[in-house]
Amino acid sequence: MFPKGHRDWQPHETSKPVLDRRDFFSRVGDGLYGAALASLVGSDLFAAPSARTASDLRPKLQHFQPKARAVIQLFMSGGPSQMDMFDPKPALEKYSGQLPGRDLTNDVQSLTQAGGLMPSPFKFAKHGESGIELCELLPHLAKHVDDIALIRSMYTTAFNHSPALYIMHGGRLFPERPTLGAWVLYGLGSENQNLPAYVVLDDPKGLPVNGIENWQSGWLPPVFQGTRLRSEGPPLLNLRASEEHQYPSRVRELHQSLLRRLAAAHRDERPGQPDLDARIASYELAARMQISATDALDLSQETKATREMYALNDSNDTASYGRRCLMARRLVERGVRFVQIYIDSQIWDHHAGLEPGLRECCLRTDKPVGALLADLKQRGLLESTLVIWGGEFGRMPLAQDTTGRDHGPRGFSLWMAGGGVKGGTVYGATDELGYKAVENRVSVQDFHATILHLLGLNHEDLVYNHHGFDERLTSVLPARVVHEILI
Amino acid sequence: MAKRSGGRLLFRCILAAVVLLPGSLSWAQREVTEREVMVTILQLKCVMCHGKRKQDGDLDVRTRAALLKGGASGPAIMPGNPEQSLLIQRIVSEEMHPNLKLLEDYLTRPVTSSELEILRQWIAAGAPAGDELVEEPSGADPMVTSEDRDFWSFVPPERPPSPKVPDHLLPLVRTPIDAFVLEKLEAEGISYSPEADRLTLMRRAYLDLLGLPPTPEEVQEYLKDSSPLAYDRLIDRLLASPHYGERWGKYWLDAAGYADTEGHSDDNPPRPQAYRYRDYVIRSLNADKPYDEFLLEQIAGDELFDYKSVQELTPEQREYLVATGFLRTAPDGTSVHAAQEIFGERFSVIIDQVKILSSAVLGLTMDCARCHDHKYDPLPLRDYYRFSAILRTAYDPYDWLDPTIHGRGGVDDPFKQVLRSLPHGDEELRREVEAYNDPIQEEIEQLERALEETAQPLRKKLFEQKLGTLPEKVRDDVRQALETPEEKRSDVQIAQVEKFDGSLKVEQQELEEEFEGFKEQTEKTNQAILEAKERLRPVPRIRALFDMAGETTPTHMLLGGDFLNPGPRVAPGAPSALSEGLVPYQVIKPPWDSSGRRLALARWLIQSNHPLTGRVMVNRIWQNHFGTGLVATPGNFGETGMRPSHPELLDWLATEFVRQGWSQKVMHRLIMTSTVYRQSSRVDSLRHEADPENILLSRFPLRRMDAETIRDSILHVAGRLVTTQFGPADEMEVKPSGEVVSKGTPAGCRRSVYTLQPRPKWSGTKSPPTLLETFDVLPLRPNCLKRPHSTVSSQALQLMNSHLVRENSRYFASRVLAATGVDPEKQIERVYLVALSRWPSKEEKKVSGETLRDFNRYWLEHLEQEAPTASTADVSNSNRAQQHALATFCHVILNSPEFTYVD
Repeated sequence: MFPKGHRDWQPHETSKPVLDRRDFFSRVGDGLYGAALASLVGSDLFAAPSARTASDLRPKLQHFQPKARAVIQLFMSGGPSQMDMFDPKPALEKYSGQLPGRDLTNDVQSLTQAGGLMPSPFKFAKHGESGIELCELLPHLAKHVDDIALIRSMYTTAFNHSPALYIMHGGRLFPERPTLGAWVLYGLGSENQNLPAYVVLDDPKGLPVNGIENWQSGWLPPVFQGTRLRSEGPPLLNLRASEEHQYPSRVRELHQSLLRRLAAAHRDERPGQPDLDARIASYELAARMQISATDALDLSQETKATREMYALNDSNDTASYGRRCLMARRLVERGVRFVQIYIDSQIWDHHAGLEPGLRECCLRTDKPVGALLADLKQRGLLESTLVIWGGEFGRMPLAQDTTGRDHGPRGFSLWMAGGGVKGGTVYGATDELGYKAVENRVSVQDFHATILHLLGLNHEDLVYNHHGFDERLTSVLPARVVHEILI
Repeated sequence: MAKRSGGRLLFRCILAAVVLLPGSLSWAQREVTEREVMVTILQLKCVMCHGKRKQDGDLDVRTRAALLKGGASGPAIMPGNPEQSLLIQRIVSEEMHPNLKLLEDYLTRPVTSSELEILRQWIAAGAPAGDELVEEPSGADPMVTSEDRDFWSFVPPERPPSPKVPDHLLPLVRTPIDAFVLEKLEAEGISYSPEADRLTLMRRAYLDLLGLPPTPEEVQEYLKDSSPLAYDRLIDRLLASPHYGERWGKYWLDAAGYADTEGHSDDNPPRPQAYRYRDYVIRSLNADKPYDEFLLEQIAGDELFDYKSVQELTPEQREYLVATGFLRTAPDGTSVHAAQEIFGERFSVIIDQVKILSSAVLGLTMDCARCHDHKYDPLPLRDYYRFSAILRTAYDPYDWLDPTIHGRGGVDDPFKQVLRSLPHGDEELRREVEAYNDPIQEEIEQLERALEETAQPLRKKLFEQKLGTLPEKVRDDVRQALETPEEKRSDVQIAQVEKFDGSLKVEQQELEEEFEGFKEQTEKTNQAILEAKERLRPVPRIRALFDMAGETTPTHMLLGGDFLNPGPRVAPGAPSALSEGLVPYQVIKPPWDSSGRRLALARWLIQSNHPLTGRVMVNRIWQNHFGTGLVATPGNFGETGMRPSHPELLDWLATEFVRQGWSQKVMHRLIMTSTVYRQSSRVDSLRHEADPENILLSRFPLRRMDAETIRDSILHVAGRLVTTQFGPADEMEVKPSGEVVSKGTPAGCRRSVYTLQPRPKWSGTKSPPTLLETFDVLPLRPNCLKRPHSTVSSQALQLMNSHLVRENSRYFASRVLAATGVDPEKQIERVYLVALSRWPSKEEKKVSGETLRDFNRYWLEHLEQEAPTASTADVSNSNRAQQHALATFCHVILNSPEFTYVD
């Protein structure tokens, strides 16, 4: 049930096998879910401490020395167009307007809208010492190309957002599977007391396709699921009562103390019921969360320069994304393990109007992303923080609706930075048109295995017994760590 | 994604174009089988027009024989000569390209060049036949040995004798159950815990059977009954309550995977007719319908009579059809998914339905045998597909029915897409729906009128402005011309209208640009109209599963679970591991046009000595009374599942269940009147040591209420539970805080079982109430036999800060105030009695009294500092402080563990 194969490096101090109850309450938990550990908690009442349970969030030992301690995933849902941003294809100029044949029609969703091959409307240029080519819409990322590893040969097996998102987050097309962040938490546990260890910062303008399923724990225990912290208003649902239901502070204090008293009396009359201890702890943690979550997301504590750098004074949409990037840094600083930043529904899905659309998307994200990389670096956090940028698939070289592109799962690009990634790297290639990954192909499973590897986890050993079967993130599919992009 | 008019032309271009993609495909010559041709090409791509329902050119391509027979133009294939075969010719010439309707509405895709090559090769090789049927061997079965069949749960239960109990312990044995449990306790040197006190037991029984705490009146009434039979009579009363079916029906609905939306896509289409099945379940439980009949109706209700030839359905017959909703619960994304996934989606409906059926009724993890032979249980791949073939005559992936209400192709659908639902045929209901819809229609019209009323003066104003730009001389003439009805206009006027109408006409967009707020108002109104339209109830139909009659596409084993990798053909059948002592699964075709496959399954399942049907069900009944089943894995009675903690008791219960006519209520009574059930939940160190996890049942397990019970109980104590039963699911509403609650009425909300039960993906108003989600209601995927249990801080936040709980604390307080007046002592007593079903102790009274007084004081201080508002001016601060203080106290009690934990 647990990550196997604790290998040959020294356990860090938090991995002592048994904690007493007081110790447990003071250090364990991700705030929201930390109390879900009834069998562990109550066991000191009568019997010997029971074994570590699957729902345990204590920091765990990696399989080997990790490079990254935390992950920030900049998830770009919709399918960003590789040949317009990361993977220049001059051949599209040459074949511009030519039409594909019958086999490609099986890959096209809406045949009535399909057109000929479409060259990119954007110019590409080389950047940095590595000379990685990027399109003109990414001036801020361009400053950091020597920190990123660009994979141009990603591929997936689903044509549509929903199944492709299941694959990208859960490893397979099935909707019930745990997501990457949940696996990471299951494998590594939490390093903070008062905040969720897996935080999702979704766009107030709208959830991505599949909504909350993108960060579910599936058949892993619910303690491992992502927690949405809202970047506007109260960070967490019901963190505070609404205006009309507020209590004056003395009423609130008395309310709390009476409740404590009733709960303690109730528990004392019922020895040997661990769940009652867990419940009391959950109320205490809830109270602490009110302070810690608010503090973590309070950007007024940042300097003017930092706020400026993250585009907080720019147009609304860019500022909104910038806020979430800055929050991500603050969360990682506080020991949050996995932060996912989503963007407004699926704005990268440019079936039509690719030129203005992509421009808008880059305007919204490029400056904040550049700021995040720069800021992590200047604070010495980039070394231990893995930053991932990408979506669920790419796009087709054909025009759709004359000005857009349809989904293209057979070849797409994404990049990683920090946390053990070799900067200035380009890995893999698509064909002449950017339709299919052909060289050093990287599957989603390879991608997942690589992320786990950087966190010190072996994807083959990180297993969970589900219905008698040792399940893993990469499932039964072959997966290989892409060592070529690692330091 | 706007469609362009040039699309059709473009599409033609694509058809005519030459392949230019670099790196063309190449493949080695290999033997092509009939099966491969049929299952992976012709059935996927051609049967819409040349299949069972539609045979253009009189051609059916579903079998080799049919291809040889051909259609109006002659045989479709000439073995040995692909280029002379019409099949190949027509595909090559692109005459057989799917037309736009097929491409866009039915997501049909053309035969690819590699597939065409496979067809050529097959014909060139002489179109060899080869689609053998794998039958269950009559002799020894290498896949399922007789040893396999001896596994405990595959052997029919035999009624064990009650264990002998020494005389001095006999008083502890109220029911045979007690003897079985006691035997194991004795072996560990312990015995039952003392009986729980009367009120604890009463509260436990109420929450267990009804999911609601008793009212103070019910408590008092119960205490008055001093007869030794008072408790038994209480159980009988509860079993007769209509709330029983709502509580226990929900367990079955979860096992069945019942939902009010389809799931599988973000728009998560509603299932507006599904509730009839929910109501059927609740009614059946309240009527104590025997479990065998209950199963028979749900699995094969449509095969119990010739529904197609019935002029008018009797209520009973209608019930049979509604019952088959049990097999319509799987998420069905086939109405919204894209071409590349459409067959996968269809298969996934069948996969989920098999999962539901096999886990809920058989307690087997059959799904594991979908890609390969089951790794632990004797369930070979073959048996999975034999079982799946039982559903094939109703769910045929190659002859699919539309799950939506209206159908994909609309009324003049050339492909005669049939809906997977049946006419309801109840006139009264139709009128009821009309009566329900009428006010909504009226509302829509009113909204439209209101918008028009706003628009009219604005339009006039803008018109006048525009008119003002014309030379003064013509203004009045033009106005007059425009105001004159068309048929009465003079020639001059007609000319004037022609000339000026275009420039003077006021467009919607101009209004929106010109007048601030008008755009918002239009959008708001249109949104309201849209929402109102969504509320309209559809014409009544029954969301049923029914046999599609006629010749069904054969079922193949799918190697690796891949529908593009067919193995041998299989016939419908039950798992061969389950055969001992059973009459085998045998299809007897009814005298009308129905395959009889599901009827055969139902008959096979409800045999009185079936090894799993009874065991699985009594185990879940036990689980829902005690939190854990005798088999702790209710959906896995196989090798990797838990072994029963009390095997003899399980078998005794399973046989007793059948002996008692499969009555669930008899089982409840038996269990709840037992000594096991009546024990106290307090645990002492002796029992904790001997039975740390309470597997031996040395005490009653202390349990947190489940999500629905928490929500319903809060509403109940606050006097805000609306007890109306049945009908369409209650809609949800998202509060500004983000909390999702049931919309409700001024009187409150209905029970949780009637709130919208959405499948994932959950979002906005297609989410369950937040409270339920927080307390472990998980998305059904596809069903749920046992809820997980978590204790997390978001639950504390929910009970502490949510609108729902705080608002109901206020209602609770005003209800208490109305019943008791201002005497704090009486108030406290009442709060305890209503919420916790008991009277407060002396100490509790004292502490509560002091706290209430302090609450009062603090509230008063607070209110004194506040400026009075219009709504509060006529109520004195001291009155308001009293109300607030009591509401705060009620809120504490609702947050106290005693409220949510059942002793």
